Amino acid sequence: MGMNIQEAMASPLVWHPQTAAEAWQLKQTYGTEGIYTSGGTLLRTQWESGISAIPRHLIDLSTIRGLNDLRIGEAGLVVGGQTSLQSCRSNTLLSRHFPMVSEAIRTIAAPSVRHLATIGGNVASSIGDSIAALLGYDAEVIWFDGTTENRTLLSEWLPEASAAKRGNERLLLSMLLPFEISLEETSVKHDDKDLTMQMKRFGAYHKIGRREAFTPSVVTACMNGVLTHNSVIKQIRIALGGGQTVPVRLEKLEKEINGAAVDGHLLRHVYERIIELFEPREDLFASAAYRKSTAANLIVAELWKAAKGETKPL
Amino acid sequence: MLLNRASSGGRWRVRPDGPGKVTGGLAYLTDMTTDQMLYGLVLRSEHPHARILSIHTDKAKKLPGVRAILTYMDIPGLNAFGIAHPDQPVLCEERARYVGDALATVAADTLAAAQQALELIEVDYEVLEVVDDPERALLPGAPQLHPGGNELHRTVFSRGNVDQGFRDCAYIVEETYYTPRQMHTYMETEGGLFVPGEDGRLTVYSPTQHGFMDRMQLSRILAKPQEEIRIVSSPIGGSFGGKDELNVQPYGALLAMQTGRPIKIHNSRWESVRAGLKRHPMKITMKTGIDAAGKLMAHQVSIISDTGPYSTLGAEVLNFATEHVIGPYQYEHLDVKGVSVFTNNGMSGEFRGFGGNQAIFALEGQMDRLAEMAGMDPWVFRKLNMRQSDDLGPFDQPIAMTDGAKQVWEAIAKCPLWMEKQQLARMSHSGDEPWIKTGIGAAFTMHGAGLGVGIPDPAGGRLALAADGKIEAVFGYEEFGQGLLASLEQMLMEQFGFGAKDIRMIIGDTDVVPDSGSTTASRATAMMWKSLQKLKAPFSGQLLQRAAAILNRRVEQLRLAEGGIKGRSEEALLLSYKELAAAAGEPIRCETSFSFPTSSTERVGAHYMYTYSAVVVKVEVNTLTGRARVLQQYHVVAAGPVINPQGYLGQIEGGSSMALGFTLLEESIMEKGHYITRNLDSYLVPTIEDQRGLVEVEAIEQLPEGDDYGPRGIGEVGSVTLAPAIAAAIRQASGKWATKLPVEPSFLQETPFFLGKG
Repeated sequence: MGMNIQEAMASPLVWHPQTAAEAWQLKQTYGTEGIYTSGGTLLRTQWESGISAIPRHLIDLSTIRGLNDLRIGEAGLVVGGQTSLQSCRSNTLLSRHFPMVSEAIRTIAAPSVRHLATIGGNVASSIGDSIAALLGYDAEVIWFDGTTENRTLLSEWLPEASAAKRGNERLLLSMLLPFEISLEETSVKHDDKDLTMQMKRFGAYHKIGRREAFTPSVVTACMNGVLTHNSVIKQIRIALGGGQTVPVRLEKLEKEINGAAVDGHLLRHVYERIIELFEPREDLFASAAYRKSTAANLIVAELWKAAKGETKPL
Repeated sequence: MLLNRASSGGRWRVRPDGPGKVTGGLAYLTDMTTDQMLYGLVLRSEHPHARILSIHTDKAKKLPGVRAILTYMDIPGLNAFGIAHPDQPVLCEERARYVGDALATVAADTLAAAQQALELIEVDYEVLEVVDDPERALLPGAPQLHPGGNELHRTVFSRGNVDQGFRDCAYIVEETYYTPRQMHTYMETEGGLFVPGEDGRLTVYSPTQHGFMDRMQLSRILAKPQEEIRIVSSPIGGSFGGKDELNVQPYGALLAMQTGRPIKIHNSRWESVRAGLKRHPMKITMKTGIDAAGKLMAHQVSIISDTGPYSTLGAEVLNFATEHVIGPYQYEHLDVKGVSVFTNNGMSGEFRGFGGNQAIFALEGQMDRLAEMAGMDPWVFRKLNMRQSDDLGPFDQPIAMTDGAKQVWEAIAKCPLWMEKQQLARMSHSGDEPWIKTGIGAAFTMHGAGLGVGIPDPAGGRLALAADGKIEAVFGYEEFGQGLLASLEQMLMEQFGFGAKDIRMIIGDTDVVPDSGSTTASRATAMMWKSLQKLKAPFSGQLLQRAAAILNRRVEQLRLAEGGIKGRSEEALLLSYKELAAAAGEPIRCETSFSFPTSSTERVGAHYMYTYSAVVVKVEVNTLTGRARVLQQYHVVAAGPVINPQGYLGQIEGGSSMALGFTLLEESIMEKGHYITRNLDSYLVPTIEDQRGLVEVEAIEQLPEGDDYGPRGIGEVGSVTLAPAIAAAIRQASGKWATKLPVEPSFLQETPFFLGKG
């Protein structure tokens, strides 16, 4: 569309490292003049809008061996960072065990972008729409620090990685999604009368954008938990993000409501605490207040639905 | 008749330009390249309002590969353009009035060199106070943007005495409505190829909606006779009014004449947003009153329109809005005032609906509020106040009389979607997702076609039998996706009997075509129809007479058919068109020219032909997020005969999708004269996901006996009634009246009911 001036002006050198160590070395060599890239879809928008300049060196991570598929590891499902969003979306292991991640990926950009963009890029950006869903499953990340591979909870890695300087020191390799313990293995069914021990999983992922598809998010919200038959929360994770906000787990709130029964009082508490605890970044399109109340509405509505017994087991 | 594939039968045809467009095989004008071509770029103002102290191009000129750098000093003719009133500088001399204002233009061997040259041009600015609010622009002491001040145009229309009228009212509604700066968002951004010929002529391959107007304007700028300029203006990758005015043509033309080399210019989306036209943002205040019986007594309107830095058709848009805030209703007392104001915001200009969209959102909003206040059904309320078929037009001018208003009203009243409205239980807290609320609303309009009284509005065309035996239909119109070629082809087949393969359609080339007027204002199809009506007898007659002479038969025994001449009741081909063309004799060629019919009034801009239309929509509001979705639409359009069913449907569906964006999504946000939404990742148009619901279109074709004006325009009506209908549906769903578009989700958001109060 139109004449592309940026492309005519700059053509960076593109490096194709075979290993994480080579990629790391290239990054150390070129410093701020080199940048890691995989699908490049987010970078392109930044170059075009002038947020960042086209660098002299692009370090293409897609050539690193072993990072472009999903496999079952000892600790869970390992999602290679170089796997395209499209491959993630069509992966049956992911959709069967981590449906909210599949759902989150479905809502990212458009097919043409999802074919190029990678899950690693989405996470490494610190603001990708898959992150809230990954947090909902307590995902970990595997990253390289120049010498060894490290494993860190995504919720702990995000604040570090999103701090600009640290981003360069950590090369994201893969995501690790721990399998959830199946409820059949834990719930003890004495007899039909002891219904209180029967439990169900509930969960939901929502992305609210400025339109119905191909839209930046305004709010992403994910909830994943276990509820007893009499609506007592046995386990819960709440993750919120959207727009330029680095997604967060609301662990304080999770602790407060774990073990409590879902009733009007609790729903009001959850609503009020989300308004207090969630600190979204605002822009000209949506205020922080709107983002807070949207996140709070979505989470309490899902809790209300779960307690009504209308959520299908995930 | 519900328009669809089934009801259209054999009239549902693949459009002639369809395959090339869906396969990507078709080359648009901005896809063209040529040998020896240079790349052109334009340096635009850094500031929305600044005095230009100096422009130095020496450094840039020294850059290798740079062939020309032009400033205001290099313009041979008039340094200004503008369809109605040329006040926009081609290249600014002393002052820049918006961020799209051009200061210099560069031609270079490569795009990179051209870009570097732009960066080397040194401009000294004295930044001036930005006038970014049309109301403040009218206050004493505001910086004046033009010698005549900040008022581009004022309109007034009054009848009776509104103050007296309001004293007699049982109910009065006062409201202010705001509409957004919407972008056309055509897929093809502005551009073109500008080729100087060895004979001194210039050929311009560049999209526009009126080739002859571009030729006249370029002639003024280049100081070059119009005959030495050829404008090829079609096919176009979307326009919607946005390419009606000149955009890059002056720069391409000046650079081509200066360098003697072909120049390619094609705006990036960023530059298109920055320099291009947008829909006029309007603030419309209305005070409307009814008596105890529900009759409209008094209607007082004040329109303030932000026209941006220069005129283009800002005055005409205000005239149109002034006419359409009165609309299809009868009032005892009327007082309408409008003002179009210069600001340092983006350029406002012509855009599908042409001021009607803003006007009808406000007017229909008033009707719904008044009906509710009086405890009346909103549709019954409209009927009570609606014009009769022999009433005068909105400006008390004579108009072509039809029963359109009544027909459309009745079709809506009995359509299933409108009947469903009564059954919708408002705010029910039941179901799986009780926070989702549904409502149904409707809106009505009469929409004028043609440019109106006082503006030259030529029409016409030509038919000829070409030497190779093709039937040539030649019109000065442009195909920008609306289906003009498909409509022309279908008319030639249905009215004359030709086959698709017999026809060659030639449009959009000023060297070849007659001046058929502009492809704007919902007028082109109606004017082609009228031209063919006028040409039918003479052209058919000439063909048949020639055939009769060759075949040695009487004219009455022959007819025009697919492939050639046949006997009146025979199927065998007697003579092909090729054989007919080969026969000796004068060339067979008929031409007609006339003007779009106008009303016998002095009122500039008043219309004579109107299309009546209405829409019912069903809308769902998710109160958790405040987001609204349109679930279903039922349009009724009374515009005379359907020329091309697919094209008709496409115009209504396409128009309504633009209106959906206008109502729920689209707004070019500006801050202190700078665009904030500078690309399509922040300026959001509807995707197919945003408009999945069923859209039905009922076409009312019947015209009064003796009406020989034929089909009325349908290019714009699909886009003018949806906003107020959505607003009415939102009212039923959520109890809220939207007054500002696009509707903000935060405005519709609610705290879930189960949290109780406090």
